[in-house]
Amino acid sequence: MTDFSDAISVATSGMKAQASRLRHVSENIANTDTPGYRRKAITFEEMVTNGRATGEVAAGALRLDQTELKQIYDPTHPLADATGHYDGSNVSLLIEIADAREAQRSYEANLKMFDQVRQMSSALMELLRR
Amino acid sequence: MDISALVAQNYAASKTATAPEASGAANAFGSAANNFLATLQTSEATAMQAMTNGADPHALVEALAQTELAVQTAVTVRDRVVEAYQEILRMPV
Repeated sequence: MTDFSDAISVATSGMKAQASRLRHVSENIANTDTPGYRRKAITFEEMVTNGRATGEVAAGALRLDQTELKQIYDPTHPLADATGHYDGSNVSLLIEIADAREAQRSYEANLKMFDQVRQMSSALMELLRR
Repeated sequence: MDISALVAQNYAASKTATAPEASGAANAFGSAANNFLATLQTSEATAMQAMTNGADPHALVEALAQTELAVQTAVTVRDRVVEAYQEILRMPV
């Protein structure tokens, strides 16, 4: 409709995308000790409606990190091979925490924009009220 | 000279000038009202979904914020219109 409501929609799409990213980060952290688990990563892409880019962002396709799985030595583990090793996950907690912090900052930025647009729109109508 | 004929003629001439015309202003107001209605309906549907189906909280907050702004706009415009109407009523004739 108006630029104001469009801006609110765009900010909301950003918050949704960051929330989806945070969800995958928490999945990764939860599965740090799962044997054979590959780290999930999402991409962001611009949303297209009726063939036109709306400026909104959406969480894109899910990718699995293809780096090598960590070899963990534990001969008593049911998955252990002849050498006593089994495939762990390739999740690095340091990367996940950094990713989570980045998601938080981006979310805050989008929230700030949301509030800013709301306040501007409100102030415009406040001007007429007197 | 018959003055009442002259008055009637003048009245007939000025009547068309002040008649409301179905112009762009009316259309704009109609579409604004339709937008307002659509915003309210979206908000209502989203709120119901959030209560019953656990919809995305972002969608709920967005819908409620849009509705708040739409209602604020509608109330402000209504107040101005009513004020203008009362101003006309107070006009000394």
